[in-house]
Amino acid sequence: MRDGINLAKLGIPAVALVTEEFWSQGNFVAQSLGMTTVPRVELPHPVAGTGSENLTRVAESIANNILSALEAQSD
Amino acid sequence: MLSALDEAQALEDLHRNGCTDGLPVVIPTAERVSRMVLASGQDGDMVLGTMGPGHGIATIENVAIAAVMAGCLPDYMPVVLAAVKAVIDPVFDLTEMQATTHCTAPLVIVNGPARHSCGPIASGTGALGPGHRANASIGRALRLTMINIGKAQPGSSDMALLGHPGKFTYCLAEDEENSPFTPLHVGRGFDPDDSVVTVLGAEAPHSVIFSGDGNDPESYRALLELLAMGLANPPSNNGTLTGGHATVVLNPEHSAILHSAGLTREDIAQELYERCFVESDVVKRLFGQFAGPDPQRRMAFRSPEQILILQAGGSGLYSMVMPSWCVGAHANAAVSVKVEADIFCEIPGLATSAALD
Repeated sequence: MRDGINLAKLGIPAVALVTEEFWSQGNFVAQSLGMTTVPRVELPHPVAGTGSENLTRVAESIANNILSALEAQSD
Repeated sequence: MLSALDEAQALEDLHRNGCTDGLPVVIPTAERVSRMVLASGQDGDMVLGTMGPGHGIATIENVAIAAVMAGCLPDYMPVVLAAVKAVIDPVFDLTEMQATTHCTAPLVIVNGPARHSCGPIASGTGALGPGHRANASIGRALRLTMINIGKAQPGSSDMALLGHPGKFTYCLAEDEENSPFTPLHVGRGFDPDDSVVTVLGAEAPHSVIFSGDGNDPESYRALLELLAMGLANPPSNNGTLTGGHATVVLNPEHSAILHSAGLTREDIAQELYERCFVESDVVKRLFGQFAGPDPQRRMAFRSPEQILILQAGGSGLYSMVMPSWCVGAHANAAVSVKVEADIFCEIPGLATSAALD
């Protein structure tokens, strides 16, 4: 989340990827860093260590959401 | 009975008399204690047993005093009473445990419906950390009984060389709802609907980091090996002296990895038991006087049942192991006691008023 905010502050289009377990913490970080509107996309938890097959499945399921979030920033 | 001009003076008196754990306590006025006793549903003079090393007599009223001081709500009393009964059981070796130079502290594990009715007692994220009133005050109440009834005082009767922060409070519940395994208390012979408190002496929790590998179905074996290394690490008493109960707290992710490998809780205990040993060359090289005349490979546990396994905590990379003391006539045995919640007296309004009025 912090990386996404730092990049957004530099004017670079960014989307933070946050797993559902850490979604509320992501909101807290966004609030505390003064950028509550930072684009973010929710991932299932866990993703680390779940294997390449699952990672591919997760990536396919969220790719459009990431593109939409990036496109919204170019508007 | 002590008297003081006001609560601030009473607090200073309690600190000076060695009646606290060093932190501020709720002043156990006669009114607060009587309401805590009333909520227990039992007579205040009922004797639970004696607590070493001071051999003070634990009554319902004495325990209620500790519960008030610790900040418990009356709802918590059945769990506090069960925890006190557990450490009073001769098998627990409380006198020796309180007096040892080891850092051991009573870890209180709660199973069954009392996790909700006598709490809520946290079992999820940060369950062993700050912010959970029931966990904090139930464990603290047990400690205050050990100080004020058992008369454990640092440097004179509690000889722990350093102790550890779990000696202030050390209490959590099992995350039964999200666990793929049978709960701990069922594995120890109780019914699933029973509420049970299991207490055992434990070191501070040791973190065990492991990231699964979904590409490798055998990766669970690495998790088992790492947990075993934490439990039977050579400088722990489990590695050196062996033979005492110890605890493994699996986070939901690690539980899922082991469950996916087809293991039950009993299977995990067996697998860990077989991996928990110190090789003879380490015994020979490092254990000095503890090596004995015939330094063979040393098994850390006498049986798989000595390894208590439960699920708690948030989902992620870290599980916990709590090695133990392993000494005393019963070698640091775990004791489980059923929570007698049926005789608990529910009084409207009492739960919110007793601790602070």
